[in-house]
Amino acid sequence: MSTERTSPTDRTETDGGTLEFIRSKLEIFEGDRLGQIGLGILCSFILIGIFARPYTIDFLNLTIPGLAPHDPAERAVGGRLESPSGAHPLGTTHMGRDVLSQLIAGTRVTLIVGSLAAFMAVFIGTNVGLISAYFGGWVDDVLMRITDIVYGVPFLPFAIVLVAILGSSIVNIIVAIVLILWRSTARVIRAQVLSHKQRPYVESAQAIGASHTRIMYRHILPNVLPLTFLYAAFAVAWAVIAEASLSFLGFGDPNMLSWGEMIYNVYTANAIREAWWWVFPPGICIMLFVMSVFFIGRTLEKEVNPELQHQ
Amino acid sequence: MGLRAYVVRRVLQLIVTFWAFFTILFVLFRMMPGDPTSMFIMDGMTPEQREQRIAELGLNEPLHVQYVEYARQLLRGDFGQSFIYRDPVIDIIAVRFMNTIVLMGTALLFAYLIGITFGAIMGWWRDSRFERGGIIVTLVARSSPEFWVGIVLLSVFVFWLGWFPSSGMRTTGGELGGNFAARYGSVDFLRHLFLPALTGAIAYLATPTLLMRSTMLDVLNADFIEIKKAEGLPERTVLFKHAARNSVLPLVTVMAIATGSAMGGSVVIETVFNWPGMGREMVNAVNNNDYPLAMAAFFLMGSVVIIMNFVADLAYVYLDPRVEYE
Amino acid sequence: MTLLDINGLKTYYRADNGWVRATDDVSLSIDRGETVGLVGESGSGKTTLAKSIIRLLSDNAEIVDGSINFDGTEVTELSDKELRKQIRWSEISMIPQNAMNGFDPVYTVGQQIVQVIRHHEDGTSKKEARERARSLFDELGIEPDRVDDYPHQFSGGMAQRAMIALALALSPSLVLADEPTTALDVVIQDRILDTIKEMQEELNSAMIMITHDMSVVSETCDRIAVVYGGRIVEIADTETIITNPRHPYTLGLRNAFPDINDDDQELISIPGTPPELVDPGEGCRFAPRCPFAEQECWEETPEAESYGDGHAVECHRADEIDHLQEEAGKKETWTEQDLGRPEDSQSDQPEEVMLDD
Repeated sequence: MSTERTSPTDRTETDGGTLEFIRSKLEIFEGDRLGQIGLGILCSFILIGIFARPYTIDFLNLTIPGLAPHDPAERAVGGRLESPSGAHPLGTTHMGRDVLSQLIAGTRVTLIVGSLAAFMAVFIGTNVGLISAYFGGWVDDVLMRITDIVYGVPFLPFAIVLVAILGSSIVNIIVAIVLILWRSTARVIRAQVLSHKQRPYVESAQAIGASHTRIMYRHILPNVLPLTFLYAAFAVAWAVIAEASLSFLGFGDPNMLSWGEMIYNVYTANAIREAWWWVFPPGICIMLFVMSVFFIGRTLEKEVNPELQHQ
Repeated sequence: MGLRAYVVRRVLQLIVTFWAFFTILFVLFRMMPGDPTSMFIMDGMTPEQREQRIAELGLNEPLHVQYVEYARQLLRGDFGQSFIYRDPVIDIIAVRFMNTIVLMGTALLFAYLIGITFGAIMGWWRDSRFERGGIIVTLVARSSPEFWVGIVLLSVFVFWLGWFPSSGMRTTGGELGGNFAARYGSVDFLRHLFLPALTGAIAYLATPTLLMRSTMLDVLNADFIEIKKAEGLPERTVLFKHAARNSVLPLVTVMAIATGSAMGGSVVIETVFNWPGMGREMVNAVNNNDYPLAMAAFFLMGSVVIIMNFVADLAYVYLDPRVEYE
Repeated sequence: MTLLDINGLKTYYRADNGWVRATDDVSLSIDRGETVGLVGESGSGKTTLAKSIIRLLSDNAEIVDGSINFDGTEVTELSDKELRKQIRWSEISMIPQNAMNGFDPVYTVGQQIVQVIRHHEDGTSKKEARERARSLFDELGIEPDRVDDYPHQFSGGMAQRAMIALALALSPSLVLADEPTTALDVVIQDRILDTIKEMQEELNSAMIMITHDMSVVSETCDRIAVVYGGRIVEIADTETIITNPRHPYTLGLRNAFPDINDDDQELISIPGTPPELVDPGEGCRFAPRCPFAEQECWEETPEAESYGDGHAVECHRADEIDHLQEEAGKKETWTEQDLGRPEDSQSDQPEEVMLDD
């Protein structure tokens, strides 16, 4: 599906090369220092996340080495609570695990939670908003009351309870996040679709007898897609923050060490006062990651809302 | 539609929302894994005693009976009995609820006071270095989860500078007793309050700041701003009495959502600073399968959010004379 | 007696590609109680000219040269504070195009009138100020009790009257009216214009009426200045501008608006768009759209030429008035003209872009 910028008319797909397409998307970052910084940070994290651990390709008998110098779960690769040194650039934990390795491995969890949760939340939110606004009437009433109710549910406590019920796994964490996170996208997309519904191109599509599904997904959706992307960026940020907070509270996936969980471990090990090298790196990483997404979101926002452009 | 009809409709909506929320709550907690009675067995109860206890709690009834019974209890303000504390939940939670409200209320108050002023000035001086720097600072604050802000503040002001106590609400303990003035009316309390409240303020600063700034930019384009300047009114008057006053309206709606995130945030902040509030209690209760307590905490948090949404809608009608009652 | 004397005023806007010369070397003087119309298309710089007088310019605008003498005070040299105290509203007030947007929506109209009165008159009590607002309303034909209404509770015409009340609250000696009736329907337009005239005569205020509508200025103004491309291209008393204009642009404008006395008149619009004002260079700025442009017009900026009785025109061909007036009345003159400059000098003509003001 095309993600061209908003145009008030219906669009046709163009046969541009993928590279050309990406380049045209990146144009909006031109002259936007914050957006460029955000993009740079995010790309670094993605690369680190992909190459965090070694890959073994069996039939080629080949192993691509991972970025993490040690197995993050391996105990006593160094002494207990060692401060940073050449062998362990970010020191070790109370179990003698390598902090740098944990940090690098944790990137992956953040990426998985951020991208999956955001995608699902925005997917649900966009559909709810689209259907609600397009059909109006009782459909709109019901869907919007449900959205209102979800707005009444406190995010983190709900996620805690749900994860406690379903068990601490990364899938359940994502489900808990998605069940709440779709609400803002739904409201915003609904408002946007309401305004598009009035436009001539929808009327003409109806006049030639296009089906509801076709009008919604082929005609209206491409026009609200930029807004969807903006909310996807925000959703990534909130999802990552939520995962970190859940893990910090001890509800993280015990099999997939995340940045939030690292800080939880510092707390439970009672090492927060002394082991600064164990606390600060994951905290800074969470902050940097979320920040990069917000910076990119700001750039997208200017694209979606041109009135903000003169900044 | 008149104001009265609007309020009536909004109240009905409030009741429906409460009912739906209550249902979600009930379903969630009945799905909870772990035998809620395991605790009684560990205490050396005989199976007969255990059966009796379950019957007392009504846990052997069919679900719909339990649902009605629980609803009836809630309406009476009865949250049942805590499994761990063996005391009525209401007694445990009431004080902690107040502690949470005091902490998060202070945090939100500061977040909004600072955010509105900051955002207004950023919008007024658009394109200035102040504005650009302000945006970066706000985005960094927004990117930091509450626990991270808390840890940074702890490290700097407690571990390094030693200016503030690291945890709790009072040096002498006894945080849950005494009347309102005894609990919250001392310098010692304020010293304990400062860091957790600041953590919340920083974490929730971004939304009011950025929203204030962007609505300011809209409002500043309005004709009446030019007229007010032409009237020879001082800049300060135009900025605060006219531009900011008009920009504040959308913030009222967001205030309700902010309260929601503050309720969630309380869970984290109270954990970091060992604040004897409802959020921390809820985490403990969930970890210990103490349903009645966890449910009550969850219910109260949700209630605060739902009621704030309601209040925000009504406040908006009151503040903006143009509002049509839908 | 001269109230306002503008001399060689240049107000430029900074743009990415240079200075936008929104007001370029404009001189204009206005007597007490006199009404002068500024007529031109949007983007001609007429609003910038008016706003320069109270220095109500956006941050990227600057008065780069010239003087604005208001009643013996040099406005360009006042500090912001002096400007607010001595000039704004107490001496020069404004009526905006859309009164509904001219009021702050969250205060009642009365509160806003009271605020401005009390800000400029230290001794006035709230009660006195309120009484004055009520009597102003009464004079302008609004029910006095409506001072307690919010702006959105007024109809368009009533809001405009309320705005006039606000503008006249301090009996200013000059009122800047920026398209004060454009947003209203025709019947109400006339009534509002009458009201403005009446009040203005009563207070002996001068007025600058900014509009693109020839019929509005012909009804209300003593003199008319035609503004094009940041310059006053023709100025004269109303009678002369209507019956005996000398600038082709004025002729064109006259064609574009219906004459109330002539039902059969065919409306002819001027082709093309207003010029871009970024470093326009030499030559008459109207030349690209002018059916009568000659080689000279492209190469040399015309100087103001006086034709007696305060009638001044910036046009190289203003002397050939009889021929021009006759030709300009024909539709084909405007539609069949060959736009663009002669072949040999087509080099540095800027692209025509609408400047939004």
